[in-house]
Amino acid sequence: MGYNYQFVPVGEQSLNIVFDEVIDARENRLIHSLADVLIKTELGIIAVIPAYHTLTINFDIFQTDFLKLTTKITQIIKNHSLLTSAERRRIIEVPVCYDEEFGLDLKAVIEHGCITFDELIQMHTSSPYLIYMMGFMPGFAYMGSVADPIAMPRLKNPRAKVPAGSVAVAGKQTGMYPIEAPGGWRLLGRTPVRLYDPKHPEPQYYAGEYIKFKAISKTDYYYIQKLAAAGMYELKELN
Amino acid sequence: MKTIEILDAGLATTIQDLGRPHYQAEGVPVSGAVDMLAYCLANLLVDNDEKAAALEFCFRGPKLRFLCTTFIAITGSKSQPVLDGQPLMLNKVYKVQKGQTLSFEAMISGRYGYLAVAGGGLLTTPVLASRSTTTRLKLGGLAGRILREGDHLPVHECLVLPSLYFREFTSEKEVVKQEQVMIRVLKGPQWGAFSPDAQKLFLEGHFSISQQADRMGYRLQGPKLPVPRNNMLSEGTILGNIQITREGLPIVLLADRQTTGGYPVIATVIMADLGKFVQLDSKKEMYFKLISLDEAVTAVRGQYARLKEFKQFLKQKRYQYPLGPARKTAQKIEYLLNKEK
Repeated sequence: MGYNYQFVPVGEQSLNIVFDEVIDARENRLIHSLADVLIKTELGIIAVIPAYHTLTINFDIFQTDFLKLTTKITQIIKNHSLLTSAERRRIIEVPVCYDEEFGLDLKAVIEHGCITFDELIQMHTSSPYLIYMMGFMPGFAYMGSVADPIAMPRLKNPRAKVPAGSVAVAGKQTGMYPIEAPGGWRLLGRTPVRLYDPKHPEPQYYAGEYIKFKAISKTDYYYIQKLAAAGMYELKELN
Repeated sequence: MKTIEILDAGLATTIQDLGRPHYQAEGVPVSGAVDMLAYCLANLLVDNDEKAAALEFCFRGPKLRFLCTTFIAITGSKSQPVLDGQPLMLNKVYKVQKGQTLSFEAMISGRYGYLAVAGGGLLTTPVLASRSTTTRLKLGGLAGRILREGDHLPVHECLVLPSLYFREFTSEKEVVKQEQVMIRVLKGPQWGAFSPDAQKLFLEGHFSISQQADRMGYRLQGPKLPVPRNNMLSEGTILGNIQITREGLPIVLLADRQTTGGYPVIATVIMADLGKFVQLDSKKEMYFKLISLDEAVTAVRGQYARLKEFKQFLKQKRYQYPLGPARKTAQKIEYLLNKEK
């Protein structure tokens, strides 16, 4: 298999497993498999944070330490079967209304890619995106990679407020804003789905899974929004 | 259910506990007490479970009315608590009678104070297995927000506390009189990405906490460090990480930090010094001292060992009555009289 990685202490109770610094789906999937395996062990691991090329591990200093833990993890990584027997990863469909009211950067992205509006939608919805990591806020999925014509760099001056539900691109990445927040990503549309609810904040999707966008009309947008507000809308699994 | 009523909420008073470490992979910040050790001590003093929710207040403490009898302990910042006109000491248990009012005089030093209430702490509904408040996400606590006048915090009444007269924690007073405070750090994951000049400046410079300091993190003032040119991919963050912003200034990440970040992390404040760091006044200057991983582990283990010893001590005193029979009778009479009321 031959993965390059090293262990880097981050604090006395945390370490990073650092792989090659690239955005690579194969490497990232390994990180998620490793995260799944490690969190189920009884090695004193409290929490894991998978990211693009790193896996951050918080551990209990009264149960283990850097040396003990890295020795164990090395053995686990060597044991290929644990990591290659990757379980099924869900593909989740997220409805998006690509309307100019929501997609404030639609025009700019269309110009940037020299494409038509229909081509943009086709490009953004054609295949599922891998969730490389979650971060920034609960439910913010960093996904990739989008087709080159719509891979527009982020705004020079970020907006002070990006509305909740906004679906956007930043370079080869795409993502969704679960909560209103400042942000510099290019807005293509908006989903009516509640991606974050403080009363029921249980995650609806996880890093390592896939999101596929589906274009919907404005009528459908408001219909789903009503269902979602009443707690009657659930994200659809495609596999 | 019995409650404690908020008469004046203070500056930024929230409900906090150990936080939500288990949802970081989903982007949920850990939150919980900013000064974890002070929070743990407060719970220990009132014989609570370590997960019991406490009040955290920032700079100006709240004014509270107790609508039931219980025991309290206040730790953290030098907050000058007053119970019905009687000044209270920190790190010590007090009995509070139904109807009494707790308030705070002007804070002498520090930033975050903790009030633990016996009988299992504040009993708001847990969200994602924690009662901690993350205000920017409207998550946990009481409706996910800073407390307000008129709020009622649910608690259990508590009439007796074992080993009551030993519930005072005295620590060897750490003299923080010297002008510069030393904060020990470990090399961060991007230490090597900084130039030798930047590393030197970081370890030799003097820093202080700026006005931009909250539960997410403290921005520091001091010499500006040369920043590595390469952009890095975002990665997981941990408590105490010292990020260097594009302007070259440090931010120390605290309880409400985002779970991932894209600024290079030059160093991490060791757990054993984090309590000292978060309580530093903005006038105090600090400098960072690089230590080894082994030293940091020994330091944090030592710190919690002292709490464990104290817990053990309280357990041993549980069935001992070192008080004269008169005192014991007085306690009983007091109880009976209050029952009459």
